[in-house]
Amino acid sequence: MSSRKLATAIVSVAAGLSIAGCGLSGSQGAGGSDSSPSAEGEVTGDVTLQTWALKAGFSEYIEGVIAGFEETYPGTKVTWIDQPGDGYADKLLAQAAAGELPDVINTTPAFGYQLANEDLLQDIAKVDDTLDATYVPGALEGFQFAGIEGTYGYPWYLSSELNYWNTDILSKADVDPASPPATIDELITASRALKEATDGQEYLISKKPTIGDFASAGIPVINDEGTEFVFNSDEAVALLEKYREAYADDLMPADVLTDKFLGGTELFKKGTVGWTATGGNYIGTAVKDNPSLEGKFAVSPHFGTAPIAVQGVSIPKTTKNLPTAIALAQYLTNAENQEEFAELVPGIFPSTSASQSADLAKSDGTPAGDAKAIAFESLSTAKVMEPVQITTAMSTAINQEITAALTGQVTSKEALDNAVEKCNQLLAE
Amino acid sequence: MSVIADATKGTLGTVGREPVAAPRGARSPIRSHGRFSPWLLCLPAMFFLIVFNVVPAVNTVVLSFSNAKMLSGGTLVGLDNYVRMLQDPQVGTALVNVLIYLVVCLPFLLFLPLALAILVEKKIPAIGFFRTMFYTPVVASAVVVGLIWTWMLDSRGAINGLARSLGFITESIPFLTDRWLLLFSAMSLTIWKGLGYYMVIYLSALGSVSRELHEAAAVDGASAWRRFWTVTVPGVRGTMFLVGMLIVIGALRVFSELYILTNGQGGVGGKNVSPVMLIEMHATGFNGNLGYASALSVMLFFVTLVPLLVMARIQRKAD
Repeated sequence: MSSRKLATAIVSVAAGLSIAGCGLSGSQGAGGSDSSPSAEGEVTGDVTLQTWALKAGFSEYIEGVIAGFEETYPGTKVTWIDQPGDGYADKLLAQAAAGELPDVINTTPAFGYQLANEDLLQDIAKVDDTLDATYVPGALEGFQFAGIEGTYGYPWYLSSELNYWNTDILSKADVDPASPPATIDELITASRALKEATDGQEYLISKKPTIGDFASAGIPVINDEGTEFVFNSDEAVALLEKYREAYADDLMPADVLTDKFLGGTELFKKGTVGWTATGGNYIGTAVKDNPSLEGKFAVSPHFGTAPIAVQGVSIPKTTKNLPTAIALAQYLTNAENQEEFAELVPGIFPSTSASQSADLAKSDGTPAGDAKAIAFESLSTAKVMEPVQITTAMSTAINQEITAALTGQVTSKEALDNAVEKCNQLLAE
Repeated sequence: MSVIADATKGTLGTVGREPVAAPRGARSPIRSHGRFSPWLLCLPAMFFLIVFNVVPAVNTVVLSFSNAKMLSGGTLVGLDNYVRMLQDPQVGTALVNVLIYLVVCLPFLLFLPLALAILVEKKIPAIGFFRTMFYTPVVASAVVVGLIWTWMLDSRGAINGLARSLGFITESIPFLTDRWLLLFSAMSLTIWKGLGYYMVIYLSALGSVSRELHEAAAVDGASAWRRFWTVTVPGVRGTMFLVGMLIVIGALRVFSELYILTNGQGGVGGKNVSPVMLIEMHATGFNGNLGYASALSVMLFFVTLVPLLVMARIQRKAD
């Protein structure tokens, strides 16, 4: 082949691959090393704090905390970066790939696991022996991962889910709003009654089952070592079968299959479905968006074990000012600052042991007060439901198999076997 | 001989109609740099081509033989990714989907925009308004358009609501949950959005179709239909090949429409995926498998290349 032809071929292939949507590049991870800076040393100098979607509503609070920190530790300067809500995982990934993670980053257990798995985060248990005494165990466990020794984040604020009911719709199903369905079976029974009463025009259920629903029902999703998914057990099949029958009986809208039915909380807000499960501060936002819902709320504990959402802050190994980063993370998540934040945001709770006051479990008698009390009470038993090992590709695979089962393309058993096989294949990669 | 080639022989002054003699003793910069001048002129374009096309493309091929992740370089694994691709049922599903997409969209997008271009080419009142209207979907964001279509197509959306209120249906049509209806909904969206774009391309081509030929054919008694096939179509044949190639590439690389209508999940049971969706699915996130995603990219390249080569051959024969 002449050099001209060779050059033409290379350029053609390059151009062709470009139009085929290529252009990927394998970045070398900015993996940490054992030569990370010492935790010992003076708390001084510059550090960067990265939060996740807090600037819009809580600028004043965060700036106040930063000012307090700089005053407590003279000589420090904190630069605050806030990332938008959408695409935070991609942002963290890009920063990690470039070795440019800020000194203190807002994480969740899922993000923390992925970064810790690549050896990018400090094991804070090695540099802070006050963790167990400072934070509630459930929150701290959120940043302790099967197969990776250590603790990879300071727990920050917590929230747990509970059930919300539209009393008008419950009444149509001939269910006493004072004692709403307490199990999935009771929910399906009430849905069937509602369908008959409204000729199928109104629904209670507006979501398909997720991996979190299996976990809430006490069904093991992954083994204790975090090395193999196991959610194709008989119990899991039986639960999926209940949803499949409910879908076949038109007890939920068809659009749940593609999650295009706005989502349960949005539909509840519109008054078109009678049940949703979400965090403890939902009533305020729902009534604000749809005042006609005022006085139509009933609340009850989540079915099975309540899911807990844990926010935390982690310290990347790449930080060049570890003592100050640790001090900032501790200051941000100390009891005083967390309690102030919880007062500011109804429905979230501090993760510090010293803040677990019995007053938080008291309701003022309103549904919103009941919701807050239920959310707080469930914190003691609530768990992170979705295993941190689950990736986007796994979620998609699970979702696809569950929809295939609901529509009868495959049996519930086949769907879960396929999903487990696919997830295990992805986990092994 | 090209201008550049002439220039290297010092005959730049003869390119124009009037030979211009270079001043004796004064050597132009291009002449003085001899054979390097063309490369210098090409350098900026070559830089961008190499950095943004050649290197990523070669990198993609190399990655396709590795188990690289987003945060680690990985190691070479031979043909593992390609073997996995052959065993992955979703790859077959995705290829079937885009081939159907291609077969359906190609004729619609090849001829409908031409018909539209012929219509809007006429000098009639308010035609500028219609031209703008036809082109509006092109400039609208694919995401926004997709969301609007989603709202129209869902079980309680505008189309089902209207059909129900008019008594045409009693149960909602599952546009977004039935595999084939969803695929055809996505195709409709592609066609609707592409009409204006290809119409503009045809409009420019129609300007070069001989008006005299049209008039002569009309004088000879040819009907409008006959003139369309014997005068207009041959006149825009080259453009039709170009449009055809763009449609082929677009159909095989379809992403936004299916992604938005399925909420990124690939439809019920994952039956509405496309190759680019699979690439996105496997390449993104902390655990993104760049090796497998790259193998899918290479496969898509060859899948795209084959029909393009066939079309190029047909065009060459036609010429």
